[in-house]
Amino acid sequence: MTARAGLRARLPAGLGLNLGVLALLALLVAAPLMTILMQTLDPERIGAWSDVLASPLSRNLFWLPALNTMALGLGVAAGCVLIGGFLAWLVVMTDMPFRGLVGFLATLPFMIPSFATALAWGTVFRNGRVGGGGGLLEGMGIAVPDALAWGMTPTMIVLIAHYYALGFTVIAAALATVNGDLVEAAQMTGASRRRVLFGIVLPVVMPALIAGGSLCFAGAVSNFAAPALLGLPVRMQTLSTRLFGMIEIGQVERGYVLAILLIGLSAVFLALGNRLLAGRRSFATISGKGGRARRFALGRARGPLTALALLICLVTTILPILLLIAASLAPMASSLFSGWTLHFWIGEADPAFARGQAGIFNNPQLLRALTLTVAIGAVVAFLANVIGILVAVALTRHRLRGISEAVSQLSFLPMLLPGIAFGAAYIALYGAPIGPLPALYGTSVLLALALTAAMLPFAVQTGRATVAQISGDIDEAARLTGAGFFRRIGAITLPLASRGLLASLLLCFVNVISDLAIVVLLYTPTTPLLSVLSYRYASDGFHQFANAVTLVILSISTLAAGLATLLRGRNRPWLSS
Amino acid sequence: MRTAILSACLTLPLAAPGLAQDLDALPPADLLPLAQAEGKVTVYAFTSRIGRVETAFEAAYPGIDMVGFDMSSTEMIARLRSEAGAGIANADVIYVSDAPLVLSELLASGLIAPYVPPRVAAALPDSAKAPLLQQRLSTKVLMYNEESYPDGAPVGNLWDLTREEWSGKVVMVDPLQRGDYLDLMTEIVLRSDEMATAYEAAFGQPIALDEGVADAGRQFITDLFQNDVVLFGSTDDVNVAIGAKGQEAAPIGFTSYSDRRDNEDEGWALQVANEVVPANGIVFPALLALNPEGQNPAAARLAIDFLMGDDSETGGEGFAPFYVAGDWATRNDITPHPDAIPLAEFNGWQIDPQQTAPIRAEVADLILQLQ
Repeated sequence: MTARAGLRARLPAGLGLNLGVLALLALLVAAPLMTILMQTLDPERIGAWSDVLASPLSRNLFWLPALNTMALGLGVAAGCVLIGGFLAWLVVMTDMPFRGLVGFLATLPFMIPSFATALAWGTVFRNGRVGGGGGLLEGMGIAVPDALAWGMTPTMIVLIAHYYALGFTVIAAALATVNGDLVEAAQMTGASRRRVLFGIVLPVVMPALIAGGSLCFAGAVSNFAAPALLGLPVRMQTLSTRLFGMIEIGQVERGYVLAILLIGLSAVFLALGNRLLAGRRSFATISGKGGRARRFALGRARGPLTALALLICLVTTILPILLLIAASLAPMASSLFSGWTLHFWIGEADPAFARGQAGIFNNPQLLRALTLTVAIGAVVAFLANVIGILVAVALTRHRLRGISEAVSQLSFLPMLLPGIAFGAAYIALYGAPIGPLPALYGTSVLLALALTAAMLPFAVQTGRATVAQISGDIDEAARLTGAGFFRRIGAITLPLASRGLLASLLLCFVNVISDLAIVVLLYTPTTPLLSVLSYRYASDGFHQFANAVTLVILSISTLAAGLATLLRGRNRPWLSS
Repeated sequence: MRTAILSACLTLPLAAPGLAQDLDALPPADLLPLAQAEGKVTVYAFTSRIGRVETAFEAAYPGIDMVGFDMSSTEMIARLRSEAGAGIANADVIYVSDAPLVLSELLASGLIAPYVPPRVAAALPDSAKAPLLQQRLSTKVLMYNEESYPDGAPVGNLWDLTREEWSGKVVMVDPLQRGDYLDLMTEIVLRSDEMATAYEAAFGQPIALDEGVADAGRQFITDLFQNDVVLFGSTDDVNVAIGAKGQEAAPIGFTSYSDRRDNEDEGWALQVANEVVPANGIVFPALLALNPEGQNPAAARLAIDFLMGDDSETGGEGFAPFYVAGDWATRNDITPHPDAIPLAEFNGWQIDPQQTAPIRAEVADLILQLQ
C-alpha cells in the first residue's frame, strides 16, 4: 500500500490514464493505420510514393488535388464555424423567436447524405454543359455560368450546407454552458453587448469553435460525394476523389499513399488548431455554480436575423429532403416531380414495374436491418463516447508531453482514412484468433469495433470542447475528499458535460447508421444494415428504392435528434426564456 | 498461426487437393449429395441480383443454404485479400467483374481458382473457359440519344469524337474512377492498328502522331481529352446526360448497352451506335471462380453450375436474373435475348483480360497526365 502510494507520488499525475487511452487508441487506430502504411512500404510497392510525390504524374495525382482539398477544407471549416456559430449564438444566447425550431433544424443537414445536398444544388443550378437538360434556373431562362454550376464554388457551398450542422451542434453545446455569472458581472459593470460577446463568450467557446472547425475540416477533406458529383465534370479532383479512384482501378498502393498524405496534411492543420487551444491557459467556466445568463435582446435586428436563420435552415434541410422524397417517388430520375407512385415504398412485386422489385416495406430484410442498425448505432455511440470522455479528460486535465500529442492525433485519424482501407485492415488484424482471443471475423463485434474507432473523432473532439470548460477546482476538491477517478468522472465530469455528451452521442449515432464504406467490408448476412440495403438497391440501379431506404435512415436520425432535444430540454430548461 | 490454420484446413477430408480435382469432373447429380452433406455455400457477388439466384438455388437444391454477399469488385478484392491474409476462407464462390484486375490481383496470387462445369463446357468458346470461367458478357459502348438524332447515330467513326463539333459534348465516367472505363481506354490502345486505319477513313490521310505519343490508340485518347471530354463519377449521370428526353443536341458517350432496357422506366432515349468504325467500345466478361481454400467445395461447384444456367433455351432460373437485353450469355446454346442485337452482330471489341492487364496501369498514367 505504502509502496504503491510512493510510486504514485513519483509518477506524473494521470500517467496511468494517459497510457491507458494511448493503448486503446493504439489497438483501435494506430494498428490498422500501420497495416495500411506497411502495405505502401512493401519493396514491390514502395514506388507508389515517388509516383505520387515526385514524378511527371505528381501534379495531377497529388499536388493539384491536394491544393483543391486544402482550399475546400479551410473554406468549409471557416464557413461552418461562421454559420454554425451564428445560429448557435442566436438559439442559445438571444431572444430570437422560433429558437426551438431553428435549434432542431440546424442539427439536421449533417444527417442528410451529402449526395442529396449536391443533388439539390444540381437541380437548381445545373447548366447545359453536361447534357441531360439544365436545372431550375436555366428552365426559367436564367443562364448559369459554369463556375456556379460545377467545380470549387458549388462543392464548397454544398459542403458548408452539409457540415455547418456539426459546427452548430458542438458550439451550441458549449454556449449553453457559459457561466451566467460572468456575463452578468460584465453587464452590471456596464460592458456593451459587443464587449460581452468578444470579451467573454467568444473566448470561452473557443475550444468548441476549434473542435467544430476541425471536424468540419476533416469532413470536407474526406467527403467524396460532393466533389465527385459537382467537380468531376470540370475535372476538379480532390484527394478523396483521387484516392477512391486509384483504389477503384486497382492501384491500391497509390490510393493508400494519398490517404496517408491526406492524413499528414490534415494533421498539420489540426496541430495548428491544437496549438491555439493549448495556447490559452484555461477555458474553465463551468464551476458548478452560477446560473444562466439573461438572453441578449436583439432589438431591431430581431426580425431580419430571425428571417436569415430560418432561411438558412430551410434551404439546407427542406430542399434536399424534398428532393430525396421526390427521388423516392418519381419513376424517372430525369423528371423528379411527375408520375409519383408509392410503389417503391409499399408496392407488391410486379414484373411490369421496376423489373419486378417490390417496395422496401415488402422487403423481409428491412425490419431486421432496421433493428440491427439502431442497436449497433446505439452501442457504438455509447462505446465511442466512453472512450471519448476518457481521452478528453486525459488531454485536458493531465497533459503529458509526447503522449498527449500522440493521443490527440490518433483520435482524429479515423475520419481521414478511407473506409475500405480501414475495414480491410480490421479483417487482417482482428479477423484471425490472437493468442487466447477468439477470431472476430464474421461477428458483429468486429463491425462494432471498427465503427467505434471510426467515430472517435466526433466523440473526442466534442468531449474535449466540453471537458475543457469544466473547472478543475471541483475535481480537485473531490479528489481531496478521497473520491476515486471513476467516481469523479461519474459524479462531476459526466453530469457537467452532459450537454456536450448528448450532442456527441447524437453525432456518433447518426454517423454510424449512415456509414457504408466500413460496413460493406465487414458486414455478414447475419448483420444486414440499412446502409448495406440502400447500397444493394443503388448498385443495381434501383435508385428510388435506395432513396427510400436513405429516407428511413434519415427518419431515424431525425427521431434521435428530436429525442436529444427533448432530453436537453428536461435537463436544462434553457430553450424557454 | 497462419500455417496452423492452413494445415488444419488441408487435413479436412473434403479440401484435400486430390479429391478437389475429382470434384471438377463430377456432373451436378453426383455433386448434389456431397453438397447437401456440406449444407451451405457462400457466394461473393458483384451484383445484388445474387439475391434472386439465392432463392432459385435453394428451391432447386433443398438442404443447401446459399449465402450471398454483394459488394463491388474492388471491395471484393480487398476483402478476399485481407481474409486470406488472416487465414480465413469465408467465400466458396466468387462472382466478379473487372477481369483484368481479378487476373492480376486474385488469380495470380492463388486466391481464386478456375472451374468449368463439365455439363456446359462443350457449349463454351475457349476464351470463356480460361484463364477463368466467363458467365456472361457486358458492354461499355458508344450510345446516343435517338430522340435527338432520329436518323441514327450522329457519328460513324470513333475519331469523329475528336472533331471540334463534339468538343465538350462527349461524356463518360472518369476512367480513373471506374475500372471498366479504364479497360475501354486500354482496349483502344491495344487496337492501335485498327484505330490508325479508322483515322485515315475519317480524315483521308494517314495519322500523324504527336511527339511522345507512341501509337494511334494513345493519340485518340490524347485528342479526346483535348477535345474537352466531360467526365462523371457514375454511369447513371452519363445515362441522364446522353439519354434524357427533350434535348436538342444531346451529348454522346460511353455507357452500358443493357441500360437501354431502362429507357421506358427512366424516360431516356438511349440507343447504341452499332455502325461505328473501328468498333463502338468493349464487350467484357463477368467471371465465376472458386476459393481454393473454400470449406464447401462440392456445393461451390454446384452453385457455379447453377449460375451458368440450366438446359432450357434461356438458361432457366439460375440464369434468369442475368438474361437481360444488352448482356449476352457466354454459352452458345442459350438463345440471345429477343430485344437486343445478338453478340455476333454487335460491333464491340471483346476484351482479352490477359492482354489488358499488363498495360492497364500505363494507360491510366497517360490519362492522369492528360487530365
